[in-house]
Amino acid sequence: MPLLARVLATSALWTLMTATGVQAAEVSPNITVGTQEVGLTAGYLLPHRLTTDHTTKQQGPAIMPSWMMTITDPVGNSWYRGQVSVGAEMVYIQFQEPFLTHGVGFTPKIKYSFVALNRIRPYAEFAGGPFWTDLAGKIPEESSRFNFVLTAGFGVSYFLTDQTAFNVGYRFHHISNAGTHYPNLGLNASLPFGGFSFFF
Amino acid sequence: MMGQTFSRPLIGGALIMALSLGTGCSSHWIDLAEQKGAPTPLQTTVPSDLRVPLLIETIHTTQNGVALATPIAIEHQILGAFEATKLFSQHFQSGYAQPATNQPHVTIRLTMNNSVEPHAGNAAWSGFIIGASMFILAPIVTLDYDYGTQMALEVERWDGQTKQYQASSSGTAHYHLFAASQHLIDELKGQVTDTCLTQLLDQVIRDTPFYIAGEIAPSETTIRSVSVGTKRSNTPVHPVSTSLEPATR
Repeated sequence: MPLLARVLATSALWTLMTATGVQAAEVSPNITVGTQEVGLTAGYLLPHRLTTDHTTKQQGPAIMPSWMMTITDPVGNSWYRGQVSVGAEMVYIQFQEPFLTHGVGFTPKIKYSFVALNRIRPYAEFAGGPFWTDLAGKIPEESSRFNFVLTAGFGVSYFLTDQTAFNVGYRFHHISNAGTHYPNLGLNASLPFGGFSFFF
Repeated sequence: MMGQTFSRPLIGGALIMALSLGTGCSSHWIDLAEQKGAPTPLQTTVPSDLRVPLLIETIHTTQNGVALATPIAIEHQILGAFEATKLFSQHFQSGYAQPATNQPHVTIRLTMNNSVEPHAGNAAWSGFIIGASMFILAPIVTLDYDYGTQMALEVERWDGQTKQYQASSSGTAHYHLFAASQHLIDELKGQVTDTCLTQLLDQVIRDTPFYIAGEIAPSETTIRSVSVGTKRSNTPVHPVSTSLEPATR
């Protein structure tokens, strides 16, 4: 955890230092078809026990490197003017509660970014894919280590430069095994996150 | 034995998938709409001392009905297309050097109405399908981007007489997810604009006598003369299929 915190703090400082020189200039990101985005996002998983059968309070830090490709130019002429990108994300979660365990997943994702506000760009995203965790089997909600993770959320990108953005947002996280083993109550959580993206 | 029976299809499948991902994912091609009844290119000869200067007065550009500043690259492309006809002796652009006031010259005003259709809904749906298939369908599912342009050219002679010309062209870029790039879109726009300009200038060339000083008909026997005609694009336009090199993305 201290290593993760150091990496994130260093990348945040580096981004802010490199962005300082262009703060005075007008930032106007030009994202078109074919613009790619690589990002690094981190957050903290907070549990939701949605039914009385859910007892586990799983929580811990999560880190999510991602890649995306913009596939449309901005469409629409109103507040909803925006563009679509698709890509994939790796997710690593270190469950610190109730047991120190780990989870790793790979999730294709799709994102709609609202571009009407220029350098401030809210977005909505959806992702889902396979997820492996050794937490399963140790808790009553999940019995198999092979699971799926589904996330849906929203966030906002603030462009520090034409190519670099700071992101914050919220995701709802659901982990379950799609009925391949029982019990399969599923784990639900909130994941507030922050991170950086680089566009090229 | 059983292992060999299964391993061959598996290895073959893996090879096909690797080849598909390596080549199919990054391919793109451009289809330009066929022009029905397009006239054959005209080549004629004009005495060089009868050519007059050309002044490009305005280039108005709209995209999906919204007025835009004309990109410098497009201005250069238009100027270059007129220069390549060799119909005019000099080429001026409004805002820069001008022909002398007492010098007979031809003034042109060009309007370009561009239309862009990125098929956002289809792209979003295709992106979802590609993602849901864990990118296995990326070499199969294609994304489309349409671009079209309509040009209207008004040409005014030194004595106030005018002529109007119109041309249009359109095309579609088809690409796979990993071939999406701004270069591809620029390539489509360049080819569509080039085709449209060629059609427009073919019409202008057919009116060559209208643009030469004294309205002397062009002669094949004049000693000091230049060949007049539109520059044909070197790039194949129907249809082009290429693979994007990583360096071009």
